[in-house]
Amino acid sequence: MADAVDTASASTRTSGSAWSRLRGIIGATEVDLRLFGMLVALALILLGFNLLTDGKFFRPVNMVTLAVQATSVAILATGMVLVIVARNIDLSVGSVVGLVAMTYATLMTDWLPNIFGMGPDFPLRWLIALAIGIGLGAAIGAFQGFIIAYIGVPSFVVTLGGLLSIRGAIWYFSNGAAVTGLDPAFRLLGGGGRGSIGGSLTWVLGALGCLAVVALLWNGRRQRRRFGFPVRPMWAEIAYAAVACGLIMGLAWFANGNYLAPGLATEYASENGITEPAGGLKISAGFPVPTVLLIGVTVVMTWMSTRRRFGRYVYAYGGNPDAAELVGINTRLTILKTFVLMGVLAALSGAVVAARLNGATLDIGNSYELFVIAAAVVGGTSFIGGTGTIPGAVLGAFVMASLSYGLSFMGVNSPGQNVVAGIVLILAVAFDAWTRKRAAK
Amino acid sequence: MVIRRLAAMLGVLALLLAACSSDGGASATAGESQGGTSSQPAESATGSTDCTVGVSWNNFQQPRWAAADQPNIKQTVEDGGGTYIDADANLSNEQQLTDVDNLIGQGATVLILLAQDQNAILPAVQKAADNGIPVIAYDRLIEDPSTLYITFNNVGVGEAEASAVMEAVPEGNYVLIKGDPGDPNASTFLPQGWDDAGLKDAVDAGTITILNGPEAGTGTWPDDYGTYTDAWDTATAQANMEAIIDKANADGVTIDAILAENDSTALGVVAALEAKSYGFPPLSGQDGDPANLNNVALGKQYVDVWKNANELGRAAGQAALALCQGTAMDQVAIDIDPSVAPTDGNSPVDFDTPGGVTVKSLILQPTPLTAEDLDVVMDAGWYATKDDICAGVKDGDPGFDDCQ
Repeated sequence: MADAVDTASASTRTSGSAWSRLRGIIGATEVDLRLFGMLVALALILLGFNLLTDGKFFRPVNMVTLAVQATSVAILATGMVLVIVARNIDLSVGSVVGLVAMTYATLMTDWLPNIFGMGPDFPLRWLIALAIGIGLGAAIGAFQGFIIAYIGVPSFVVTLGGLLSIRGAIWYFSNGAAVTGLDPAFRLLGGGGRGSIGGSLTWVLGALGCLAVVALLWNGRRQRRRFGFPVRPMWAEIAYAAVACGLIMGLAWFANGNYLAPGLATEYASENGITEPAGGLKISAGFPVPTVLLIGVTVVMTWMSTRRRFGRYVYAYGGNPDAAELVGINTRLTILKTFVLMGVLAALSGAVVAARLNGATLDIGNSYELFVIAAAVVGGTSFIGGTGTIPGAVLGAFVMASLSYGLSFMGVNSPGQNVVAGIVLILAVAFDAWTRKRAAK
Repeated sequence: MVIRRLAAMLGVLALLLAACSSDGGASATAGESQGGTSSQPAESATGSTDCTVGVSWNNFQQPRWAAADQPNIKQTVEDGGGTYIDADANLSNEQQLTDVDNLIGQGATVLILLAQDQNAILPAVQKAADNGIPVIAYDRLIEDPSTLYITFNNVGVGEAEASAVMEAVPEGNYVLIKGDPGDPNASTFLPQGWDDAGLKDAVDAGTITILNGPEAGTGTWPDDYGTYTDAWDTATAQANMEAIIDKANADGVTIDAILAENDSTALGVVAALEAKSYGFPPLSGQDGDPANLNNVALGKQYVDVWKNANELGRAAGQAALALCQGTAMDQVAIDIDPSVAPTDGNSPVDFDTPGGVTVKSLILQPTPLTAEDLDVVMDAGWYATKDDICAGVKDGDPGFDDCQ
């Protein structure tokens, strides 16, 4: 937020009064300019692909695919922001994702039925598997975090070791073969045919989001009054709420333009005793389950990083480690927690990947660490520490995913996709460095 | 300042990349695995003595080598009265050279080399030749005329994939899913096999349309057609296939058949088809991986071209024993399952390598497996067991009969 205010007010070189008036208006709404810029960039990318494909790209069904493909990296990016803000790095995320995914697959196909006698019909078996996976992720995170925070080995080294040894462990554990056949309930986490929450729930979710925005604005205004801070002009509050609500409901409406596949709709009709009309049944599928999971993760992580003591400690440490230590923050425990959190998120991300694949292969999560770090950096997280936002990182993940999905939609092969992704990464950081430099003047 | 920060970023990325590329070498897995299931005795004609067969593996991390090839070579050699020794180079060219030195030092009288790199191995081949030790190039070509090349027909694998699928779907819209762009199997040999089965002719005639490529006749065949999959990665194949399905739906065309080059990519294709509830158009693959054979039984993959590595191991073991006894290379005769035996007979024939060398070769035939042929792989003692293959198969699934 501070950055946004800086960029909005600090520049003295702008020409023309219209521009500075616009800046004044934007400044009054206190919109995070960096986030806003990323949204614009994402919109431009989607628009560009849409033009290049004669309008075939920007359709609900394609955007749902894109959202699901972005989810696993986006979930990880929310945690990577905090790790990088606290001046660390986690290179082991991809390997942890792979290990946890293999754990889910082995649990459901082998261990749970064969060792614990829990057959496929055992109630909530998928939740048991998920809990074990999350526990494993947290344990790995705690172990690495302990070595980093309490023994003082640089995170780069510890997690590089983690990247190598955990990837090796996956091989021992799986003997190299793919393990497939997960529980249907678990597979909903990966989206897919039935893995969407449905039209009405999507509207409900949209409405809740809208209410939450209004409530947050209302509460913010009250708090500011109470402590004598300047409040936004009322028109800015209303405009803000209207735009945010419009966007959220628009998204819900758009997602509801994605219908169940015809075969599934027929199945659904016969299950629910509906006679199918001649033109086929159009049942809104709405948001896919992994997207809802991602929204949940983003909200919780944003809340933790901006409203909870833990999150503020992370930013305080990242901004100035010595000062944080001197004011009495338990910096070691704070850093340990960032890695535990990263491990939990890796377990969630692994669940989405495994559910999507209906199993696990040896190479799941390969080079994820690069995509995740790239997403965080594109989203405005700085390696210097102390700066970075969670929504920014999620948007960064969407920017990267939309490029690779759009290019494969157009039939560009993976070497070409990697070239584009690399260039975008460098451009994003260069742009970031440039705006910061301008802001500093 | 900007420059410095960017430089630091790039430095970090370079380190990350280095970290990634050494990923595969993380866990040393030298030593022996007794994963084999076959105990069929090799039919060795003569009881030989003093034969020590040294095998240098490049990468034991792939399940196939430990589960199928190694136990069969070992069994064949030991049943013939020889001694079996081996080492694993764990994806390192340098380590492989050391391994070969060690094998020679341990008294190997014949070497079987699964080369990590067909050129980097040449010093080891030279050293073996200097010591009068015959070399068998196992499954991967070595560009040296003194070697005996024993492998499966990789072009033939592509041909088997395309023939099976094209028989099921003679005309319509095809999707081509290729493997890693750096692997000549993915870019050259398998597509060449597809052409041998008539794919290019059908595309030229307009009976088959490739959906993920330029319009017929406008691009370079086969390079511009189909989608490559970095590192043959399953999740990548899935993401690509989802985009292809979305594009086909947006264009209002249906996908009638899919040629995937191998099993890891075919697994990703099936995941994408399931995620999109698309149904299962005929799909190819190769390797005989357990999960894919299961998909064949479930009707999600139409054909899996299987390279019976048990027989490849036996062939190599028999050839090694013969060479050890001083049999001339072109007089070597192998005795393996006739369904996979070389079409050119059981003795080596000349093979012209892409590098312009002529080597003696035994080129075995791959076995296309559709749901009707699953009993073949179940009876062969393959590492995919009947339980693996038949998991979840119900009455009405294509593999139901064989799973009874």
